Amino acid sequence: MDFVLRRLGFYLIAFFFAATFNFFLPRLMPGDPITVMFSSQGNPLPVESIAALKETFGFVDGPLYEQYFIYLKSVVTWDLGSSVKYFPQTVNEVLGRSMVWTLFLVGTSTLISFFIGSISGIIAAWNRGGWLDSILSPLSLVLQSIPAVVLALLFMFVFGVALNWLPYSYAYDIELDPAFSWEYISSVISHATMPIISLVIVQIGGYLLTIRNNLINLLGEDYIVMGRAKGLSETRVMFNYGARNALLPSITAFAMTVGVVLGGSLITEVVFNYPGLGNTLFEAIVSRDYPVIQGQLLIMTLAMLSANFVADMAYVYLDPRLRRD
Amino acid sequence: MSGFLKMLGRNKKVSFGLFIVITYLLIALSAPLLTSHEPNKRVARPHQAPNAENVMGTTRMGRDVYHLFIHGTATSLAVGFGAGLIIVIIGTALGVSAGYFGGKYDEVVSLLTNVALVVPQLPLLLVLAAFIGEASPMTIAIIIGFTSWAWGARVTRSQTLTLRNKEFIQASELACEPSWRIIFVEILPNLSSIIGLNFLGSIIYTIITEATLEFLGLGDPLAVSWGTMLFNAQNASAMTVGAWWEVLVPCVAIAILGMGLALLNFGIDEIANPRLRTFSGIKRFNKRVKQLKAASLNTPNNAKQSTNGVIYDN
Repeated sequence: MDFVLRRLGFYLIAFFFAATFNFFLPRLMPGDPITVMFSSQGNPLPVESIAALKETFGFVDGPLYEQYFIYLKSVVTWDLGSSVKYFPQTVNEVLGRSMVWTLFLVGTSTLISFFIGSISGIIAAWNRGGWLDSILSPLSLVLQSIPAVVLALLFMFVFGVALNWLPYSYAYDIELDPAFSWEYISSVISHATMPIISLVIVQIGGYLLTIRNNLINLLGEDYIVMGRAKGLSETRVMFNYGARNALLPSITAFAMTVGVVLGGSLITEVVFNYPGLGNTLFEAIVSRDYPVIQGQLLIMTLAMLSANFVADMAYVYLDPRLRRD
Repeated sequence: MSGFLKMLGRNKKVSFGLFIVITYLLIALSAPLLTSHEPNKRVARPHQAPNAENVMGTTRMGRDVYHLFIHGTATSLAVGFGAGLIIVIIGTALGVSAGYFGGKYDEVVSLLTNVALVVPQLPLLLVLAAFIGEASPMTIAIIIGFTSWAWGARVTRSQTLTLRNKEFIQASELACEPSWRIIFVEILPNLSSIIGLNFLGSIIYTIITEATLEFLGLGDPLAVSWGTMLFNAQNASAMTVGAWWEVLVPCVAIAILGMGLALLNFGIDEIANPRLRTFSGIKRFNKRVKQLKAASLNTPNNAKQSTNGVIYDN
């Protein structure tokens, strides 16, 4: 319990740091932040909503600490104002709409790569030096160092443009109306295939190498020998004795990867014009839609923090040593 | 030292990675010799497929892709090595000092490191670059360098903590050696493999991130680099009009350099931690174990027969 509270406290501090950074960022930049932030390029905002927006971000007359407290209040009450680009929609509406798509991409690709990566990592470590290991381990390292933008562009070129196997723009056929029909669902799946595969390739190597390297370090442990001595089947020893213990660092890796995946998803969404959070952030940056940028950064920070918290909780559940004190 | 070099040479992954990286370095260093004119000069008609005159084709602006590639190599390597150096220096300085001196200072540094690790990197960099506006490759290198030191700091700190309790460090402390000498002469050499891994990893990370930022149009559009090549290709919808060479050249350039650095990294990891090795030595070992097993399988059979014989005797 002590451990959980300590972690929660840390996440609170981290979120506070990020929010403060958000507050100072526009104020440190050259030029007048208010004109940069609220000069929309398309539709001019009504005067009263500009005033309301300024208040949300603490751009009021008064000393800096007063501005800061007004800003903090709007963050804590999650009152992020309305988008400049999509006025009069609120930031929450804009982000809520795109979050579903990002959750779909990131969630699916993370699950796929966690399972495939971990299982092949276990098999590679168990047969260390075998043909599978000497192909998969260097390959996953190489794949890891190819940027998401290159992967996405290459996929789009080969399977989208050249072979014309899969659609490569937007999340579904725009002529279809969102409905619970086979036509719509299959359109969503075929549009998501390439983004998901690129994201899987971005992360799968990390899971494979983490569990492989950990399991190799455990191979000589006494309880593995014990399992074998009891005459258990090789798969039983591999998964129930070896992999179970090697999985713990993979859970930390999972929390760390969320940041990488969010970044990868951002760029993949831009390449495939996928209507998720990343694409929204990109469009917001291009059109200087500061309220949306601000909300994005907070949401992505919260996503990272919750992933880390989930990993912590999983650790407490899986590792009894942490529960003792 | 020669033993170390021999070990590097014996590891196929390291030799191959080193070969790739050195080739890129040579291309970058001899860029003026390999090219005949300014990379941004219009030399031919737009979107010419690769031919004898323009070996990698031309862009929509009529620029020669080969010249852009050669000069882009120099930019990407400079940004990667520059930012990698900043990341390693900051990370190692913070990590080693926090691990060695401990106390309140360690608490503050650890807190900052952990916060920096859980804040989403790429979105933040995007926003920073957007506010700076048309960031030049050097600016990008500096902002990446100053925001990405957290992983290195965390790893060097925990290693320093382990080293700190070893006998040879305690002996130096008892001998009243100054702390700077303990840090630079006793601790740092023992961290060299981690620092090396951090440096190579940071170069890969920086080159990837620079290309990403520039692809999104947040860099200086006049700079010559792989990222702006991708950005211009995307803007010219090079892919949909069939000008694959404009997209493929920077993509393959980044992918191969990434592969070279990754292999180098993997190899160093294997040398530092022999258990992780995958190369032929282990294959030979496994083969020998199989032979031994097969041999021992034959012996118990004989033994069985003899026991059987004993049973029959009864």
